[in-house]
Amino acid sequence: MKKLFITFILLVATIFLAGCDGSSSKEDTIRFSWWGTSERNVATHKALKLFTEKTGIKVEPDQKTWNGYQTVLYNYLERGNEADVFQINYNWIYSMDGADYFYDINELGIDFSKYPESEHKPLTVDGKVLGLSISETGYIFYLNKKVYEEAGAEIPTTWDELIEAGQKIKAHDPKKYAIGRLDTQQASILMYSYLAQKYGKNVIEGDKFAFTKEELIEGLNFLDDLRSNNVLIENLQNDTHQDGPTNPNWINYENYGGILQWNTAVSEYQNTLPQGDEKMVTAGMFQINKGEQLGMYKKVSMAYAVSTRVAKSDVKKENVKKFLEFMTTDPEAVEILGVDRGVPSHSGAREQLAKKPEYKNSLEWMGHDIVQTYYDNQLSSNQNLYIHPFYEHETFRNVYEQPLQKFLFGTQNVEQTANEILRTFDTNLTKVMEGR
Amino acid sequence: MVGEKKWTPYLLLIPWIIGIIVFKIYPFFSSLYSSLFEKIGRTQNFVGFKNYAQIFTSSDMIGGRFINSLQVTAIYVFITVPLILIVSLLIAVVLSKKLKGVGFFRTAFYVPTLLGANVAVILLWRNLFENYGLINQFLKIFGVKPVMWFGTGAGAMTSIILLRVWQFGSTMLIFLGALQNIPETLYEAATMDGAGKVRTFFSVTVPQLTPIILFNGVMRLVESFQVFNGPSLITGGGPNFKTETMNLLIYETAFKMRNLNLGNAMSWVLFVILMIFTLLIFRSSRHWVHYGD
Repeated sequence: MKKLFITFILLVATIFLAGCDGSSSKEDTIRFSWWGTSERNVATHKALKLFTEKTGIKVEPDQKTWNGYQTVLYNYLERGNEADVFQINYNWIYSMDGADYFYDINELGIDFSKYPESEHKPLTVDGKVLGLSISETGYIFYLNKKVYEEAGAEIPTTWDELIEAGQKIKAHDPKKYAIGRLDTQQASILMYSYLAQKYGKNVIEGDKFAFTKEELIEGLNFLDDLRSNNVLIENLQNDTHQDGPTNPNWINYENYGGILQWNTAVSEYQNTLPQGDEKMVTAGMFQINKGEQLGMYKKVSMAYAVSTRVAKSDVKKENVKKFLEFMTTDPEAVEILGVDRGVPSHSGAREQLAKKPEYKNSLEWMGHDIVQTYYDNQLSSNQNLYIHPFYEHETFRNVYEQPLQKFLFGTQNVEQTANEILRTFDTNLTKVMEGR
Repeated sequence: MVGEKKWTPYLLLIPWIIGIIVFKIYPFFSSLYSSLFEKIGRTQNFVGFKNYAQIFTSSDMIGGRFINSLQVTAIYVFITVPLILIVSLLIAVVLSKKLKGVGFFRTAFYVPTLLGANVAVILLWRNLFENYGLINQFLKIFGVKPVMWFGTGAGAMTSIILLRVWQFGSTMLIFLGALQNIPETLYEAATMDGAGKVRTFFSVTVPQLTPIILFNGVMRLVESFQVFNGPSLITGGGPNFKTETMNLLIYETAFKMRNLNLGNAMSWVLFVILMIFTLLIFRSSRHWVHYGD
């Protein structure tokens, strides 16, 4: 009986211990985790298969959906159980204490010469490059031209034209809007883009909120103008559908004439809208004055980060280097992966894909070109609208999203909203930047 | 043979003991310990009750939400618990009668509980209450304007309360079992004393059921304070945080904002609140629960 008891205990212990370490420690295997929609997943699996065929290095795929990916990654990192290579959002380097948890990619000997000069600056902390940039992204307006054509409205290029289009669309059908529903994050970037065009400032400058109370009030009033002129819905309570691409007002009734979205995420909207390829057009960023190219915020869209565990073995380091180079530069892999993770930042990969019209003429690519052109134009006028790494921090974003949400739900006025944002912004920014 | 008998019960208990130590006792105390720390980078610094002070500071970005979540949870609990008890008791009384097809109805009313608040049910619920959902389509037949169920705090709260109340099956079954144990002689005596149906219900049935009402009440109270699925998947805590319950905020704080220390402090506040309410109910029960014949 004692034997049986001991066997049982050992069995239980084995089960528990086996569950404790799922990390891949084999040198000839790389564990790779990413999030994606079905198209990205199919392409990634195909590329991973090719990598194994070419190099003999096995890849353990760890595919997830966007929902929950971040939470799982947090937990993996805490337990030292993260994949060898994992896809990240740019700001996670800061919110996940990347300097402590991510490996310095410099140590792998990756060649950065084919990337734009300042591409990896936002991914660098204390001299360590903590992520290999895959692509950049910016918020872009895309319109459903059918909504505009039916109302006899032109595709606008300025805010005034957008308001005019909103009125025409309303006269044609009161249920339709020039844009429609924006969530709090989208509404805030719209407001800050407008304010940047007017005052030439980024949201955060010198780690402080850059706009004065009067300027912020002006931005909120501008949002109000868009709501009262049928550009945006009057109140968020009129449409609480939380997932933009599947919103019936976008895909079924086509009541919404546009979206404001990262150019890297436009395909979701394009795919869900019936005949989206024909109906959707790139409108870029509306301007105060015709012909200007201002108010464009951008950031690294996503990056590949590497586990610090990799440092323990030179063979593993070499294999991870091969893997990263394969995923970002190998002509066959570049072809397979296409623009599923955005327009590649690596110039070789970008030039290769640019030769193919199906990529070059995609909404994603057109959006990318606008983002880069506007951004460079801003830089030449000394305006740097690169998104601050803590702007989208999971805790910090509450500081401006909560008051704005109340405003968009009509439970708080302009003055109250401005006061609430200003009262908490700087202190909380300092707090999260200190890692608290 | 004697030795074998001695070990066998312990052997059978081991999986349960391991489970309760690993998944209940250890997390219970480690969460209290963790709530007294603040993590900066990879280092945990002892801060005493600072996290507790923070969650009760209305001007703090998380504190403000925590105070709101307390109010939201209170509204949810104090509407849901009495409503479930009343609905399940009334249905149980009807189903305790010798009606035709009563077996079918007992099963049918229990089905929602079996389904639980799983993702499919929640998606169904979401579609029912959407602006273009079935409920609004139904109301339209009577010329009623569409209700923005998820657009207002009251509407969204109604939808998640209804989801919970719809799953009254297990509470009803417990009442049903208790109803069948009430001695028939008590009803006969009441009839002989000239009591009507309503009088009999309040003077015989309800007093006899008070121990079960206490049990069901406490169970539903504990469960309702910890509500998560409905608010998380149906309303997402919205609109405008009007359905952000404590458990939802704890999840957001601990796992999305990655502040486990603060999340643990919130969990302990929730635990203390639950303890207080449970004790109050037990204390008050000596005045309204009848255990004797």
